[in-house]
Amino acid sequence: MRVPNLLRLIYRNIVVNTDPGSLIILVGLPGMYLVFFGYGFQSISSSGGSGVSYLAFLTPGIMSFQVVMAGTVGGSMLWADRRWGMLSQLLVGPFTRLQYLMGIMLTSMLFAIGGAAVMLGIAYALLGTSPTQLFAYGVIFAAIVVGAIFFGALMLFISALVKSNTAYNSVQILLIFVVNFASTVFYPLSSGLPLVLRFLFQINPLTYVADTVRGAYSGTLSLTDAYQMAVLGVETVVILFLAVRAYLRSDVSYE
Amino acid sequence: MVYAENLRHSYDRRRLALDGVSFTVRRGEVFGLLGRNGAGKSTLIKAMTTLIQPTSGTLRVLGMDPAREGQKIRSRIGVVQQGESFDFTTVQRNLDLYGILWGIPKVERTRRREELMTRFGLDEIRKRRAFDLSGGQKRRVQVAREFMHDMEVLFLDEPTVGLDVIMRRTLLDSVRDEVRRGLTVVFTTHNLEEADYLCDRVAVIDEGKILVLDSLENLKQLYGGKKTIDLTVGNGDAARFYSTLTERLGTRATVTTKGGSAVILTEDPKEALSKIAELSQAMGIQLEWLNVRKNTLEDVFLRSVGHGGESIASA
Repeated sequence: MRVPNLLRLIYRNIVVNTDPGSLIILVGLPGMYLVFFGYGFQSISSSGGSGVSYLAFLTPGIMSFQVVMAGTVGGSMLWADRRWGMLSQLLVGPFTRLQYLMGIMLTSMLFAIGGAAVMLGIAYALLGTSPTQLFAYGVIFAAIVVGAIFFGALMLFISALVKSNTAYNSVQILLIFVVNFASTVFYPLSSGLPLVLRFLFQINPLTYVADTVRGAYSGTLSLTDAYQMAVLGVETVVILFLAVRAYLRSDVSYE
Repeated sequence: MVYAENLRHSYDRRRLALDGVSFTVRRGEVFGLLGRNGAGKSTLIKAMTTLIQPTSGTLRVLGMDPAREGQKIRSRIGVVQQGESFDFTTVQRNLDLYGILWGIPKVERTRRREELMTRFGLDEIRKRRAFDLSGGQKRRVQVAREFMHDMEVLFLDEPTVGLDVIMRRTLLDSVRDEVRRGLTVVFTTHNLEEADYLCDRVAVIDEGKILVLDSLENLKQLYGGKKTIDLTVGNGDAARFYSTLTERLGTRATVTTKGGSAVILTEDPKEALSKIAELSQAMGIQLEWLNVRKNTLEDVFLRSVGHGGESIASA
């Protein structure tokens, strides 16, 4: 039986992008955040006597963080394939441009789901608890998938436009920093935040993913989470459209 | 296999990369595209392999329109691009992955990979990462990789750049073997010797236009007679010697001089040699080098792109 083109592309993307360097970025870095930040900030909140488990708060945040990391890997796949000639080589092969793009998007999604599952496993080893309801896992899965598509598309959009290596890396690092730290991944949205930061938190799509995953993880899902996911869904469609358009119009070669 | 009529392409709407190109590639032949850097060879390859759509004109590959049936065309062709293209993995894995991408079953994939590893001398570097290889090694991997899958037309865009003499010959012989089995090849090169070795017909392209298109033998005969005499004189007044020789040979030969050397194109080399001998004796000129040879593709190329003769219309 002949394997469909898209599956062959996904297989190739996984093989090429699961070298030790990529795995450290995908799993090692978020895992370290979970352990070091989790225990580090846990000690502060414990000494303050609040009794809140920061590790339990951080776990769904770090699971959501995976969508950004997987998105950057997706953007890097397109950028590297163009830079090192494989994009044009694949596009003179039996694939369409859209299949290639879908291959990257789906690979990013798989990385995000896999990474979130690993974080869930690490958190279980550290905390000894995890969600018990199947519904919670369903919501987490859906939020991660939508988030992965959004950030995958965003990074593809950027990599379709930026041709310089330095510029691409700078934009990527800046984006990761702003998106992660101006979201509810590491801390809750509190009224004590300056207005500008609060606004940034509220419009950041990663906040929507983190809040929804956290709600499902801790069993506190609310109507706000559903609303946030709906907004994220619309934003995802828009950014996906822009990414596909930019990619289809872009030159396939680096030169 | 390929039909092009009045193809034009412009990247920036100012300069035409292809300017009214027309040609046909026949089944089972090796069709060479010769030209200088920037002549339009790679643009033509990109158009035929569906990477770009020509601005105007008609193009058919395997009877199909690349604009509408690009994927069908691509699933029946092979392309070795001019630039390097690899995955960040070992040589062996690169070949394997390429076979997977083309849907080659595992047993057949392994068989082809091992056969190609041996044929292209890749055994010793199979565990090395493709990006760590030398230029020639990379080229070998790239060409070998393309033979991992079946195809009806193979497009080779300057495949021998960076290869040593032995590997170059191995590659050309491999292509010849495949042609004997029915493969059609479109081949671009600067290297006229290898075009001479491999191609059935060649098109000389310059500034986006095909200047000449014919079989090698016809081209060599069309340009300046059947034989070329290379001549170098060692003493005396070379300029006067060559001007007198040109007068005596008349319209039956063309003499091109540079310092003490001359290239004489003639249909009657015996007559030319006798005139050279007579004149050198009469003028006391010593002949340092005298060589009679068949016209080469280099003569055709140089004359067609404007270094020694008029161009002729494409066939």
